[in-house]
Amino acid sequence: MHYIGIDEPGKRILLMGNEAIARGAIEAGVQVAAGYPGTPSSEVIETLAKVAKEYNMHVQWSTNEKIAFEVAAGAAIVGARALMTCKNAGFNWIMDTFLTIGYGGVRGGLVIFSGDDPDAHYSSTEQDVRLLGAYANFLTLEPMDQQEAKDMTKDAFDISEEVQLPVIVRGVTRLNHASGDVVYGEIRKERNKIAFDKHWGMPYRWNVYGPPGPVAKHEWLINQQPKLKEIAEKSKYNVLQMKGEGKPAIITSGVAAAYVFDVLRKEGLDDEFNILKVGTTYPLPYKKIKELIEKSSKLIFIEEGDPVIELQTRAWMHEEKITIDAKGKMYEGILKPYGELNQDIVKEAIYKFLGKEIKTDEKRKELKKSISELIAPRSSMWCPGCPHIGSFWSIRKALQNVKAKVPIINIGIGCYEMSGYGVYGKQIKAEYTTESKRHVVLYPYEMSDTEYVMGSEFGLLQGEYFANYKDGPIIGVTGDSSFFHANLPALANAVYNNAKGVYIILDNTWTAMTGHQPNPTTGLKATLEPAKKIDIEKVVRAMGVEFVKVADPYNIEETINVLTEALKYDGLAVVILRRECALQAVRYKRLVKPIYKVIEDKCTGCRICTQIGCPAVTFDFDKKKAGVDETLCVGCSLCAQVCPFDAIVEGE
Amino acid sequence: MMGKDVVNLIVAGVGGQGSILASHIIADAAVEAGYSARVGETYGAAMRVGAVHSHIRIGKDIKSPLIAEDEADVLIALEPLEALRVGVKYLSKQSKVLLNPRPILPADVNFGFAKYPSLDDIYNALEKLGAKVYKVEATKIALEVGNIRTANVVMLGALAALKILPFEEKYLKDSVLRRVPPKTVEVNERAFDAGKEAIKRQK
Repeated sequence: MHYIGIDEPGKRILLMGNEAIARGAIEAGVQVAAGYPGTPSSEVIETLAKVAKEYNMHVQWSTNEKIAFEVAAGAAIVGARALMTCKNAGFNWIMDTFLTIGYGGVRGGLVIFSGDDPDAHYSSTEQDVRLLGAYANFLTLEPMDQQEAKDMTKDAFDISEEVQLPVIVRGVTRLNHASGDVVYGEIRKERNKIAFDKHWGMPYRWNVYGPPGPVAKHEWLINQQPKLKEIAEKSKYNVLQMKGEGKPAIITSGVAAAYVFDVLRKEGLDDEFNILKVGTTYPLPYKKIKELIEKSSKLIFIEEGDPVIELQTRAWMHEEKITIDAKGKMYEGILKPYGELNQDIVKEAIYKFLGKEIKTDEKRKELKKSISELIAPRSSMWCPGCPHIGSFWSIRKALQNVKAKVPIINIGIGCYEMSGYGVYGKQIKAEYTTESKRHVVLYPYEMSDTEYVMGSEFGLLQGEYFANYKDGPIIGVTGDSSFFHANLPALANAVYNNAKGVYIILDNTWTAMTGHQPNPTTGLKATLEPAKKIDIEKVVRAMGVEFVKVADPYNIEETINVLTEALKYDGLAVVILRRECALQAVRYKRLVKPIYKVIEDKCTGCRICTQIGCPAVTFDFDKKKAGVDETLCVGCSLCAQVCPFDAIVEGE
Repeated sequence: MMGKDVVNLIVAGVGGQGSILASHIIADAAVEAGYSARVGETYGAAMRVGAVHSHIRIGKDIKSPLIAEDEADVLIALEPLEALRVGVKYLSKQSKVLLNPRPILPADVNFGFAKYPSLDDIYNALEKLGAKVYKVEATKIALEVGNIRTANVVMLGALAALKILPFEEKYLKDSVLRRVPPKTVEVNERAFDAGKEAIKRQK
């Protein structure tokens, strides 16, 4: 059995935060788990899938977060223990059902795990979902480390069943994609009975409109809150450490608390602060907060993300008529309400709060500054042999073929979003033009014009068209998983309202960017058992699109021709560029080709091959010759196809 | 533990070199040896050739996953430019660097917007920061033992030879053999031993 499922209470093991969440769910006896991939949350479902059979769990990748949430909520309605996972942005997708399910709640334990991403390492925003817990009136837990992630997730199911409401577990990148030692607990052997009663504990329990109707069910939700508050007051995850009356105080939570404890210990300040480490971000443990504030001289809030604890505490202090000199992220606070924390930032904040200076080594600072000037940036690129390299080269060439003036390329979210990551070494100036302006683009990483979230690629395209944009072609680019996640309603809208433009679906048959999860195009389920494949081409045709063409982005000539034809088409043209993700193709030995090399005598140094943006294609500016890094090349042949001088050839 | 209660290590490289697996192997060994460990990973959205930096903290009572500035005791660098990028921020004044001298050129260099620093400049800069630099030809050695993907384990062998970890070498080696794909155990064992040899030759 995979180590995550070993039934050995007391076993100490290194786990990634997401594995710890999965383990907590296993220990709680979870019966249904559903999610949509999103960094840093995906490993929870992946880990559960590894022991789904042994523990008789249903584990699935859903087509989007809303469906995943409804799968979990439906399971909880019939009494099962259910887990739903997503990243911060994915949480936005569940809001409709999420805010309604509280009007009556659940029968089996329902736990929602969100992987937030302060510093936006892998995300469009730094969104903090903790405030949504307070908004929905659901208990929200915030683990400090992997052990708490495991323990809180396990306890969340019990709490959910006790209060008959969903419970949220909020992680962040530095918890979920960090690892630490965890001690295993006991695995609950019994499984909740699956049963349905439409009037369970309340008339029309699972139907907000059923009499007494939504307002009465809202009232029920509010009446559950004292129970939540009582749980928060008693929770072992809210830890108050009083070091002496009149000392300064810190209220902290989650990974921020981990930084606080490490910094205080390192600086020898352990005994200088009264500290409340909060584990229940909603509701807050106000009795402990009261004791802390009444016995302390001043207060600093140190939390990761938005000032959620700070906001609630300040409002409560106002009502309780308690005052203390308090600093945090609000009102020109000591900490910034953007970016992420670390030991250095926390240390600086604590010293500033104390009114003390940190000694800096000016000489070392100077040395570091001079060394930093040597360091070349390393902009993100697609993997060697990525089919997107062929796709974006072909889009650029097709736009040249139709002499496009100022095209608009709308990009969604997936590996292809790197077409908008830019090249860091290149300086770009802001412009203030009133006319459409053409910008010369040489590299695929500068091609994206709009880029926000999954689905925005196709909706924005339609808005640009209906606003009568005429200065160039309008293109939308999506991926296979995004197509099913967010683009189906947009496609129906485009056909129904007669939008025109070119909609390109890059089908690499995996949800690649988040770590190659299977999706409806893969032919595999989350557990890697066989699944039915859905043919995108047939779906698009069935929706009423007349121009539907498929091409292989490893065949540049064919792809350019199809895209050129689509750009000339007066209507909605859908082009599917299909080729399996190169990493997976190499991994499963479906792409086994000799690597390429440059014949230096034939190379003129024109640098066209570097413009495809493959990391394996190098250029030596002293010799003025291209090269192929033999440790990276996978033999896709794209560089050889674009070389005008036949200077790149298959090696032996 | 060199008179300290925490040992801080960083594995730096580019996506695809196995930096993260290497960091998990070190932390796993520490946990098996009875220590607390934390790993904090930073990588971009790219799967391959993006900068990947992984922090490992080993001690008796540690909580957070990231190393503070100027506090890394050891830097394991699978790529020289990444050694510099991480080193300038995190290396302590008495640190050790294991450096694989094989560059992976960034887009910015191949496109002509930036210059890759010379290896001499990189060595000098790391030494000025206070590091003792050990050259480990991990890519070359990995190819010699039969699998380029074992370069990370070559570096772990080199780490074992530095004798800087607070536990016996067997914990590290066992962790390597436990965490690498089952089919590659043998070649990884060879890689580990070859990495150890590479340091012994320099001593």
